[in-house]
Amino acid sequence: MKPILIIAEVIENIIRPVTWELIAAARMIIALNDKGLNGKDPDGKNSRADKNDSQGIQVIVPANDPMALAEKITSSTGIDVLALKIKGLVSYTSQVYIESLGRLIPEINPSHILVANTSQGRDFAPGLAVRLKAASIPGVTGIRRDNEGLLYSRPVLDNTRNMVIRPRPGCVVVLTLMPGVFLSSAGKAEHPGSITIKEISIDSGSEVVHKEILKKHRGDQALKAAQVIVAAGRGIQEKENLELISRFAKCFSNSALGVSRPLVDTGWIGYAHQVGITGANVAPRLYIACGISGSSQHLAGMKDSDWVVSINRNPEAPICCHADLCIVGDVLSFIHAFLESE
Amino acid sequence: MKILVCIKQGLDKEEISRFDEFALEEALGLKDKFLEAGLTDIRVDVITAGPTKATAVIKRAFGMGADRGIHIVPRDAGYSPAFVTASNLAAVAGNNSYDLILTGIMSQDMMEGQTGPMLAELLGLPCVTAVVKNIFNDNTGIMQVEREMENGLRDCLEICLPALLTIQAGINTPRYPSLSNMLAAGKKQIITLAEKDLFPAPVKAKELLVSVEYPEKTRAGQLIEGPLSDQVSQFKAFLREKDLK
Repeated sequence: MKPILIIAEVIENIIRPVTWELIAAARMIIALNDKGLNGKDPDGKNSRADKNDSQGIQVIVPANDPMALAEKITSSTGIDVLALKIKGLVSYTSQVYIESLGRLIPEINPSHILVANTSQGRDFAPGLAVRLKAASIPGVTGIRRDNEGLLYSRPVLDNTRNMVIRPRPGCVVVLTLMPGVFLSSAGKAEHPGSITIKEISIDSGSEVVHKEILKKHRGDQALKAAQVIVAAGRGIQEKENLELISRFAKCFSNSALGVSRPLVDTGWIGYAHQVGITGANVAPRLYIACGISGSSQHLAGMKDSDWVVSINRNPEAPICCHADLCIVGDVLSFIHAFLESE
Repeated sequence: MKILVCIKQGLDKEEISRFDEFALEEALGLKDKFLEAGLTDIRVDVITAGPTKATAVIKRAFGMGADRGIHIVPRDAGYSPAFVTASNLAAVAGNNSYDLILTGIMSQDMMEGQTGPMLAELLGLPCVTAVVKNIFNDNTGIMQVEREMENGLRDCLEICLPALLTIQAGINTPRYPSLSNMLAAGKKQIITLAEKDLFPAPVKAKELLVSVEYPEKTRAGQLIEGPLSDQVSQFKAFLREKDLK
């Protein structure tokens, strides 16, 4: 069997937790393949991988000094790690990753290459797939199998549909996996796997030079601390209506005003209010989404809320699949009616 | 300076996909700066691949100030994997030595974010995705860019042109088409090319579309319709029941 290869996500010399999710997904793929071979449960929907099963998976950790990172991965997962020492690598750039992984991976000849669907993974995975002449399926949120093999689903059309894709048989496939979907499986492994060290020096790659990583102060403490978040999206139509949403929020104690990304992009309100992958990840007792359709990046930032209420004109908006209560109608009229009844 | 902006139809087919509008505005903003500095050697081309109707987005781009438009007619209607689209774009862009190629971070319909980075790889260009800021130094030919990461981090890079950038939403405020540009747009010619001429042997897709489904629900999603007063009382009952207010 060809191995499943995972590219660990390293930022500022730290392994990002999404790496554990990639490992969980690799175990799921192996379990689904096994079930296919045994002819049992071809649907494989409810399969759970055996946590000790680390065979057939390999993690590549690219860094200037990858040994400590490699040890951490193998001691917490039991999986074999290839420590890819890229001499002089200060920080990630797509050029260096594609060049070095593009040289290394054909030697390993994997069946799958798993990358996180993060700002970093999205930056290099498509180019790497082209370099390797591999199939490429980004933003995967579901893996299952039918009689012909594995199928991957991913959201399309503003999250209102999922597209189910099968890689051409025999093709190596690069998958970028949506964070927060595949449950992480890190802990402490009984038997650590092996570590192989590989050194690569890159001469090219000078067209892109990393300078620094800037940290923007998020100022999202109010959102993080709130028990109730009332969040506004494009459905509120005008900037002036934020005032109404704010009044609605104040009906709840310990509440805060959140917004979806487009409202920050258009300059209606500051970044400190933005909920989602590129803003704040929140998990309040109650999340009220007002005129928010529910992009994947927004949903990922609020899905751990205890209760979710959506107020939206469109009952087919993606948020409705991820809300407990969907109030169908004009958000502004509803809030006016609610405020009057208080 | 020659800039190519790759654009696509939005969910509303007459409009440019939201993310691509930001990319086009970046190009036009750069053109404005060149012209203000008295540098007239700058041109903004737009390219799109899609059915005949897709030329609507080229006309809209003309209205915003783009100079030339290229329309690629795909071999097959329907699902076109990013690699096939990128190959088409590369076949055209490769012969035109662009200094800068821009596109939106992803399309609104497919939401893949692959066409840009794949095109860069096919053309052998350096690529930076999710760009939220860029400053071009005309003397050095170096562009300082900031790439958006998670958790409020930004990766600051310097990139040597020619290069490809994918543009994140919110980097600028896309302009509306102007009347004078709209009037001039009628005279601008759209160059039409067919995939079957660019690639007599079809580009082989490595991904096969199996089906399109509705997403699974992760919560009850109880629909509350009906008169406002009922909706308000049901909402209040929900809050009481879950002890949320």
